[in-house]
Amino acid sequence: MMRLRHFLLVLPLLMLSWVASAQVSFTVDAPALTALGQPFRVAFSVDAQPENGSFAGPSFADFDILAGPSVSTGHSVQFINGKQSSSYNCTYTYVLMPRESGTFTIGSASIKVEGKTYTTKPQLVEVIAENESAGGSAASSTSPETSIGKDDVLLRLKVSSTDLYKGESLRASLVLYTRVTVENIESLTMPPFDGFWSQELTFDNAPSREEYNGRVYETYKITELLLSPQESGKIVIPEAVMNVGVQVVVQDKRSYDPIFGGRQVYRISRELKSAPVTINVKEFPAGAPQSFNGAVGSFTLSSTMPEAEIEANSADQIELTLSGTGNLKFITAPRIAFPESFEVYDTKVVDNVKLTTTGTTGSITYTYPFVARSAGTFTIPRIEFSFFNPETQSYETLATEPFTLVVKDDGSGTATTTPSSSYNYGGPMRQLDRDIRFINTGKLPAKALAPFILTPLYWLVIVVMVALAIVIFVVLRKRLRERSNTVARRMRHADKIAVQRLRMAERYMRDENRHAFYEEMLRAMWGYISDKFNIPVASLTKEKIREELYRRNVAETTAEQFCEVISRSEEAQYAPSATGEMGDIYAEAVEVISKIESAVKR
Amino acid sequence: MRPIYNIICAALVAVVVAVVPTRSHAADSATTARASWDAGIEAYNAREYAAAVEAFEMVVTLEEASADVYYNLANAYFKLGQQNTSRPFAGGELGRAVLNYERALKLDPTHDDARYNLDIAKDYTNDTEAVPESFIVRLWHSMAGLMTTNGWVIFSLVVLGLALAALCTYLLNGNVVVRKVAFFLSLILGLLFILATALSLTQKGAAEVDNRAVILVNDTTPVHASPDSASKVIREPSQGVSVEVERREGDWCEVRFADGEKGWVRSANIEII
Repeated sequence: MMRLRHFLLVLPLLMLSWVASAQVSFTVDAPALTALGQPFRVAFSVDAQPENGSFAGPSFADFDILAGPSVSTGHSVQFINGKQSSSYNCTYTYVLMPRESGTFTIGSASIKVEGKTYTTKPQLVEVIAENESAGGSAASSTSPETSIGKDDVLLRLKVSSTDLYKGESLRASLVLYTRVTVENIESLTMPPFDGFWSQELTFDNAPSREEYNGRVYETYKITELLLSPQESGKIVIPEAVMNVGVQVVVQDKRSYDPIFGGRQVYRISRELKSAPVTINVKEFPAGAPQSFNGAVGSFTLSSTMPEAEIEANSADQIELTLSGTGNLKFITAPRIAFPESFEVYDTKVVDNVKLTTTGTTGSITYTYPFVARSAGTFTIPRIEFSFFNPETQSYETLATEPFTLVVKDDGSGTATTTPSSSYNYGGPMRQLDRDIRFINTGKLPAKALAPFILTPLYWLVIVVMVALAIVIFVVLRKRLRERSNTVARRMRHADKIAVQRLRMAERYMRDENRHAFYEEMLRAMWGYISDKFNIPVASLTKEKIREELYRRNVAETTAEQFCEVISRSEEAQYAPSATGEMGDIYAEAVEVISKIESAVKR
Repeated sequence: MRPIYNIICAALVAVVVAVVPTRSHAADSATTARASWDAGIEAYNAREYAAAVEAFEMVVTLEEASADVYYNLANAYFKLGQQNTSRPFAGGELGRAVLNYERALKLDPTHDDARYNLDIAKDYTNDTEAVPESFIVRLWHSMAGLMTTNGWVIFSLVVLGLALAALCTYLLNGNVVVRKVAFFLSLILGLLFILATALSLTQKGAAEVDNRAVILVNDTTPVHASPDSASKVIREPSQGVSVEVERREGDWCEVRFADGEKGWVRSANIEII
């Protein structure tokens, strides 16, 4: 508790020091317009504590002072989220009555705050003489109404321009005009702004006064919008509808109340409709430059180019900044004709714009990232941006200087030095157009041959081919058959031939012709196997004989015996040997051949 | 049947006879044809398409035509028609171009350039889409289109020779494995021979079709519901539309369009491919 009390004691001191350090403002508040015979207020306010009696008001030579100056002071301290703020206000109010119509000046007032003198600026006040029909109620406009005329409460949609170009902006404000006390707004239906791009503006919602149809109204701005037409032609903004509650004071004539005057205050609801507004949106004049893309307003263009020498395959970018006032939000990025070997990526758009009553103001930065893929010297042609300036009613073109860029080989081998014009980087080959193919040149081709099929020649060829095949077949078959016949005969007669040879050998044996005997013996034995099994003598060996006999299921001992006889004959042919041996070999040969014969037949 | 064409041909023949009066006829026509061919190519290169048309027409008249002659003639007609930029093909050149591309393809169905150019020329006509054939039929025709009639015949005869050789091998060889291989080989080659012969006959049949015609008029031809000019006009095909002649009645022809629709047209307005 103690602590809080201490704090409260200290608080004013703290506040005083804060007030002293703040900037003091001394302002005048007077209506810019008023009607003859209608009193009005002029208030001078200061936001710091003035020195006593230091206020000196103006002379008000052209007006009658009905009351004033009356002083009112206010002081407030606020704590918001632990933050302290305080305000001090001192207001000197006069109530004046104009004497005649015209424009008059309210002179400066002066005041002293902590030894310093502040003055207000002189203020102009226009006094008009209202017309006759409205004059009756004019005097009572500050006092409660006793009845409401048709024109006492009005809703108007005010537009800053009704004749403009597509893309230009206009300001539309919905204003409530009233000469009576409006208690509240019950409902408001805004008109649809079809054909416009609309943005709400922030506005000063302080009431003001305005003359309309020769009468002075209190005006309240309901809303203010920035409209930008998106199509040309006549566009009608339909009516806005607003329901307001209005105070009506009725003098009760029957029961006169001496204390309250017998006046009854009623509240009535009234529907207000603004008049539809027609906006004429003009098409752009002819002769638009090629780079014109619908930009309207007044702009400047600046660019940031990459370094004049870059390495191939490295990323870089071009930056364009467009600043000014106009339909900035609807401007498409200017096109840059990059060389074909440049890989160009999506343009980045960063805008820094704000809405003002004249349109969108600020700047847009376009960033064009690219990668130069091949080495060489390239020229980026001038980048053009055109816009329509509605003030001069002409097209203006902004452009950057052409920029020459040297791309150095990065040594990776992927960068190829090629002339940029003929180099098509990647992508499929496109078919541009179609036309008939060229004629056949060269020598006159031979006359077309008639179809050969089914002609007599065709049949002849077929017959000849088949006949030829048959002939070849027959001849080959005959020859094969003959060959197989001799073999069969020789096989059949193998033993007989062997017998003949053995007989011959026997004769040689008797003649004691050893050499001839063994020769004949060998011939008989080799020849027997050769004929029997259809194997040429030249390719016969003892191993072959053993194999052949084994294949024909001849006993192994028999085969061995046969080879033994051959070996012995070969040895004996040139070796001196006994005569008796010849008989043994002969007998053995006859025995083994008959054994083989019987085995093979079986 | 085609009087204008005949008159042109006769005139050209007369010119030929007048120009080369002394030599024997056979040698004459071959030499003149070669000269005309070269003159046609030269004129075409010089963009004198009317002269090129005349020269190539003469080669055709001299009965020295091959697929390439018809192809060049068709190209010359097409370019001549296009040269008239204000009214392209006003002289019926498109119809003539289509006719000659078709003739080139009739002689040589494998003529790729002719097929390509015919496709382009057809873009300028109001010809209808053909009724799509079944997959088997299309496969068969595309197979047949791989070679000319004579190409298929030669192929079939080579295959026949191989089949017979395989058969002999099967019958005569003693080795079992060789016999088995030879047997199946001869069987396959025999079937291939039959297939190739059938394809050749297909190609021959396509080349001998004589009821296909092309409409030859300047703008559009009225196609009537019956052979009577008072009957209803059911279609108005442009020049270069291909039709099939179904039958004839006086100087009227009943034609069938690619989409199957039939109608009657005056014989003078069409020419058989």
